[in-house]
Amino acid sequence: MSQTITIDPVTRLEGHGKITIHLDDQGQVADAQFHVTQVRGFEKFSEGRPFYEMPSLMARICGICPVSHLIASAKACEAIMAVKIPHTAAQLRRMLNLAQMVQSHALSFFYLASPDLLLGMESDPANRHIFGVVGAKPELGRAGVNLRRFGQHIIELLGNKRIHPGWVVPGGVTEPLAPAKRDEILAMIPQAYADIALALKAYKQIADTFKAEIDVFANFPTNYMGLINEDESIEFTDGALRLIDSKGAILEDGITASRFSEVIGEAVEPYSYTKFAYYKPLGYPEGSYRVGPLARLNIAKTMGTPLADKELVEFKQLAAGPVQSSFHYHHARLVDMLYGIEKIEQILSDPLILDKHVRAIAGVNRLEGAGQAEAPRGTLMHNYKVDENGLITWANLVIATGQNNNAMNRGVLQAATHYVKDGKFTDGVLNRIEAVIRTFDPCLSCSTHAFGQMPLAITLLSADGEMVDQVIR
Amino acid sequence: MWLSHPSRCLRRVGTTARTIYTIRMTSITTRCLILACGNTLRSDDGLGPWLAQWAEEKFLSNPEIRVLNRQQWTPDLSEEIACSESVLFIDCSAESAPGEIRLFPVEPSAPKDGLATHHSGAPELLALGLELYNSLPSHALMLTIGAGSTELGERFSEAVTAALPAACKAIEETVLQWLG
Repeated sequence: MSQTITIDPVTRLEGHGKITIHLDDQGQVADAQFHVTQVRGFEKFSEGRPFYEMPSLMARICGICPVSHLIASAKACEAIMAVKIPHTAAQLRRMLNLAQMVQSHALSFFYLASPDLLLGMESDPANRHIFGVVGAKPELGRAGVNLRRFGQHIIELLGNKRIHPGWVVPGGVTEPLAPAKRDEILAMIPQAYADIALALKAYKQIADTFKAEIDVFANFPTNYMGLINEDESIEFTDGALRLIDSKGAILEDGITASRFSEVIGEAVEPYSYTKFAYYKPLGYPEGSYRVGPLARLNIAKTMGTPLADKELVEFKQLAAGPVQSSFHYHHARLVDMLYGIEKIEQILSDPLILDKHVRAIAGVNRLEGAGQAEAPRGTLMHNYKVDENGLITWANLVIATGQNNNAMNRGVLQAATHYVKDGKFTDGVLNRIEAVIRTFDPCLSCSTHAFGQMPLAITLLSADGEMVDQVIR
Repeated sequence: MWLSHPSRCLRRVGTTARTIYTIRMTSITTRCLILACGNTLRSDDGLGPWLAQWAEEKFLSNPEIRVLNRQQWTPDLSEEIACSESVLFIDCSAESAPGEIRLFPVEPSAPKDGLATHHSGAPELLALGLELYNSLPSHALMLTIGAGSTELGERFSEAVTAALPAACKAIEETVLQWLG
């Protein structure tokens, strides 16, 4: 008789998810699915709101990466306004986005993933959390706390709030950077370098002990997408998207936000509220791709900062072409953070960084606009349509987690097939299957929304558990 | 390499032989930290932020008092706590009767079960500060008011509204006693 193993909820994620593993009559894994079980519906209830409210509204989607939503949303609004924002405003936003990336990656690596990495996949579940890490490796615990606060404090200094700062607005930012705040950020940077160096060293020392996990944690060829500058350096806030195939060849280059929907489609599966993004010319699911730290490092030819460039060279030695195992997201996340710290330091040395001209003003000049940025988890795209009064008539968001959705599902199936034998499993096995999802650091709150067909399944079960009817729409 | 912390920041506790290192991102040692928690969109759960705002205005001119308000208490607050001489935690309580004010000592305690990623309790934060920075505040108290309702809403229940003046008085007396 076939069986279903359910992991509900999947822990140490941003949001609530569920995994089901279907076994065949012989107790072998037949299929596995990762379900995102919550719905937010931001696209729908933003209809009718003035477009200039959108950044603040959209930032409420998430408490972890609100800055990415602020920036992508503001850029979509600026496309509607048809303005180019002042240089200083662009630099300040870039710094804000990098600060968010550092704090979010610190949360992912130190708080969510490091219990598995430092204490072991088979360690006591009651101890697999940040307190357990602190007990075992206090210096790494301190580094994690410090790096998270480094990013959060920069966000607070720039936006006056740690979460949901209202500083980013259509046209730029609401106020320039004060010299005292610049100096305060600069004073934090030496310690941030020390903390990330410690983390990189510690990670490299233990990574080799996870060879078995590296082999089966979503380790398969896919396409990759991320923002990149004209000089092929990594970019988080501006630039254009590049899509490469599993061998590293460029499939599509220079994808601006206005072209995003021409190139990227979204498929629906009945078991999840999160959609499945794909590259249209290849269709679904063949056109599925990965985004986020692993994709960014696979795509970039250079980081554009000296220390991160050295790390990129080392990272690229992990494979002959693109690095395929999602386990290496952890490593890529640390390189991202190092880059973020270096880039923030570079931005603060910009002679125009204290300039007072930080906002462009305009009304509705186009009836549609799109904006894109790199969120910590990967590419984020906002697309709005407005009427002549600037009221939203339609909105769509394509979120990083949706773009990784296919790879996450395939990764769960790959790990489950490897670890679950004869219908038997242990806590360590289930934790490894969850850990596959954790490598992507998905944000489930961000990734669910109402656009097009809502994947909703209603199942009617008899008293003895037999399904007697099911409605799927 | 780790930076040695400024000696004024932390007090060593216990007799551990472990070398103490820490990083101060703010250079001010706080004599009294008021740390509130709550969600202003969840009726009585907003009493923590309300009392934090009251305390901020009340003690505005006193640089020895620092007031922080968070929707959730997260592990990064452990250093703020470790660098404070006294800490008053403020939260609503689902266990107490609606409007009941309780003021009680908090001891450091490691989490009993798993997750401590998005929210930590006062005992866990004290324990984390002790583990990471080898320091405990000399005084740590928790002030709670029993919640009448935590449904969606921006108004307090009658019981909590009635309790707020007494809670303010308790905060003021506690803080002034700590500051001598």
